[in-house]
Amino acid sequence: MPLDAHLDVDDATLLARYARGDVAAARALTVRFVPRAQAQAFRMLGDGTEAEDVVQEAMLRLWRIAPEWREGEAQVSTWMYRVVSNLCIDRLRKRPRAGVALDEVAEPEDPSPGADERLQENARHAALRDAIADLPERQRVALTLRHFEGASNPEIAAALGVSVEAVESLTARAKRALALALKGRVAALGYEG
Amino acid sequence: MTRGSETPDPDKIIEQMLDDLAAEPMPDPSDDLMKRVLADAAAHLPPPGGAPAAVPWWRELVQGIGGWGAIGGLVAATVAGFAIGLGALDATGVDAVWTLGYGENYGTELGLDAFGWALEEG
Repeated sequence: MPLDAHLDVDDATLLARYARGDVAAARALTVRFVPRAQAQAFRMLGDGTEAEDVVQEAMLRLWRIAPEWREGEAQVSTWMYRVVSNLCIDRLRKRPRAGVALDEVAEPEDPSPGADERLQENARHAALRDAIADLPERQRVALTLRHFEGASNPEIAAALGVSVEAVESLTARAKRALALALKGRVAALGYEG
Repeated sequence: MTRGSETPDPDKIIEQMLDDLAAEPMPDPSDDLMKRVLADAAAHLPPPGGAPAAVPWWRELVQGIGGWGAIGGLVAATVAGFAIGLGALDATGVDAVWTLGYGENYGTELGLDAFGWALEEG
């Protein structure tokens, strides 16, 4: 039997089945959510081990909340996205900021071809992750759903329970905030002539 | 690496940075992670049929006292005790309502002296 033999069953129904003691529902939810959560956490953290820890913690919270979950109140996928996002933010805030790493970009220690570019790319991603982490939650979720998950504005609106116009406003404000946060650093990050 | 133009557009730069991060190759979840998650799910799996619903505090209180039958008995005993108390007060010859201070004639017909007599002599 394949791990997710419930492709036609929605997330909330699977969670309700798990809450009634159905272990097959747990397998289906795991197959459905772990890869997505892993990708989201990895994009936000840039560290595979930390991303796995975040995913395990988020799924643990899902198992715990299952008996109290009320269908129709929220989408399970949106709830998971927010939990993973907030767990990543907690970890990012405990890290030293990426600004320190940028100083190392000019003189890469690894002399192999492309090493400096890799370092610069890592610095770019780290700076962007930090700036995203500082966004208000709704802006952050709207922006990352749009750019990392490829969600359309109507899909994001449904997930957040807001209008499409509100989503456009959230993503626009998020980008302005990112531009402001990274202002003066884009040259060092290799984005300016 | 140079990606911008002479007059870089901040919006385009941010879009480019987001696209670059989104294009980063994603590692697949490891077998170890899947096993850990499934082990957590098994450890927290509710019993078949679901966990028993939480009992409200007032229902626990009622059950602690002895159930709705006991509550009914308590109410009946309270009402009876109150009625007996009122009846005993009638037997003293003093209007119960007046004694409690709500009588319309208080302080006019009987006067304060009479109030004191009623309490002391019965």
